[in-house]
Amino acid sequence: MNKLKIALGAQLLFFAAWAGYELTSRNAPSEEFYLETSPVDPRDLLSGTYVALNYPIGGPQGDNCGYLLKTALSMFVKLEDKGRTANTPDGFVPVLEAAECSAKEPGGKSWARADVQPAFGGRSAARYGIEKFFLNENDPRKDARSGSVIAKVKIGSGRRLVLLDLVKKI
Amino acid sequence: MASYYKKLKTELDGAAAAGLITPEQAGKVWDRAYASRTFASFKAAHWIAAISGFFISIGIILVVSYNWDKISAETKIAAFLLVFGAVAYAAMKLEDKPAAAIPLETLWFFMPVLGIGLYAQIFNLSGDPVKPYLVWAALSIPPALLLKRNLNKYLCSILLFAVLYWGTLGSTNMLSLTASYRHAVQPVWHWLPALLVLAAGFALYPADRLRKPLGAGLIWLFLMLAADTAIKLKASALLLLAAMSLSVLWLLWGMDEETSDWGLPLTFWTGAVYMMTFFWHYKPSFAELSGQSTAAGTLLVWTLFSAALLSLIFLKRRLFAGGKDDYLGKGLLAASMLGAFLLFGASEAAAKLLAVIANFILAAFGLGCILNGAKTSSEKMINRGVAVITLTAITRFVDIFGGLLKSGVAFIITGLAFAALAYFVNRGRMALIQSVKK
Repeated sequence: MNKLKIALGAQLLFFAAWAGYELTSRNAPSEEFYLETSPVDPRDLLSGTYVALNYPIGGPQGDNCGYLLKTALSMFVKLEDKGRTANTPDGFVPVLEAAECSAKEPGGKSWARADVQPAFGGRSAARYGIEKFFLNENDPRKDARSGSVIAKVKIGSGRRLVLLDLVKKI
Repeated sequence: MASYYKKLKTELDGAAAAGLITPEQAGKVWDRAYASRTFASFKAAHWIAAISGFFISIGIILVVSYNWDKISAETKIAAFLLVFGAVAYAAMKLEDKPAAAIPLETLWFFMPVLGIGLYAQIFNLSGDPVKPYLVWAALSIPPALLLKRNLNKYLCSILLFAVLYWGTLGSTNMLSLTASYRHAVQPVWHWLPALLVLAAGFALYPADRLRKPLGAGLIWLFLMLAADTAIKLKASALLLLAAMSLSVLWLLWGMDEETSDWGLPLTFWTGAVYMMTFFWHYKPSFAELSGQSTAAGTLLVWTLFSAALLSLIFLKRRLFAGGKDDYLGKGLLAASMLGAFLLFGASEAAAKLLAVIANFILAAFGLGCILNGAKTSSEKMINRGVAVITLTAITRFVDIFGGLLKSGVAFIITGLAFAALAYFVNRGRMALIQSVKK
């Protein structure tokens, strides 16, 4: 019985620590910014209602990106304002784009960590863990068409991107 | 179930009326059996309470769902942890009461995946599709090992094997071993977690006899050999040798020593030999599928073949019960593997010879089952033998003879052969009974 209680304690501790990590990451004092999206699938009945998202930064263009996508398991991608904007209910906002890739963690603030999706030789994709946005089944954004929404994100703990909101473009 | 108790009551009353047992004994047996039925201790009040609990639960779920977006992340997490703890604690406290403990332990097993799903929703998480299931298994294994009942061990083992098949046959996750069409091969390090999952699934399966996990593991290995993995085989002779060696290994290692309860592995082996009979239609152009067999896969096949051959020689297993040495059984198993050698550098004639040999193996196996069944009074063996011979005969009539007249004549000849067989089997049984009486 005591060993079972320890096992239960470990399970609860795991979920408590994980919640702490995610909450800390979401509330990290980093700047919020927007990313261009291309929704690919409106919802999945098994996983609940969510929008499956693809990002142009999933196939980053820039220094080292092509090489790292073919050879690395994970990498860091520099997100930069290249002058692109989107019109939202809050006005025009800058949309960041990939500018450079690095295998080692660089010093600057605007670098996000990405996992390279394996098995697609020559066509690997960078995944940031922000490819699903869960929402209420009555939310009209669930039927968002490609290019009609942008993702509001920030860089959280461990340089992981945190998906905060899906904003409809005007 | 109600009809069972009704029938039992009738039988007991009948036995009491016939004087086999006294009415008091009949009454006591009935009381004992009726008291042990499922939900025996449930009174009307309990049922009403259970229904009320069900309605309240559904109501709460719907109200919470409606207000889901208004509930803060912290509240959702706290509620989940509370429910998780309560379910697990109740399962521990009620461990000796199966009616309550079994559903609670099952719920405990599923709590981690509910939590992972909840966190994914709250924090919009996504990533490797296999990872959540591996985390779920890792979290569920310690309680499964510590609980008295084996239920959660079975569930964990099933989960691990499901993840193994799904992950390794997919091409975009951390367990992927198969490359998709025209794409590069998967990283070799994927084999390490895949083999760990296989080993854990095997170790967690609680039964003494490892027939099912062994079968699941061997079938998985064959799929890895056949698919586009780092151990892929492209030569049909090697693939056939692998399939037959694996089925023989499953047959020999999937049972207890000396017993003849073969079950699923025997059906699988029979199916594999049956499939071999279709090599009648083989063309030499099938010999090499596109691409080359890997060195690792080739080495693995020869290892499997050697292991199967050595197991056949040294393991004390019998295909047919009785007698000193099971030469017929061992000979059939060896022939089923060695037949694959006819496909190396195969000509059409060699493939046809292989098909003929496979038909003879099935016929000899069927006949062996019938004669052995008659000798050991095993109706199951006789039925198996008749089924194998009948299926083989019908397939060949449809496959080879074709025309109505030829098939009709062949059916009549086979029917007469069966009649003769039944006559001799019966005579054999009579002779055995007589020898026992003497």
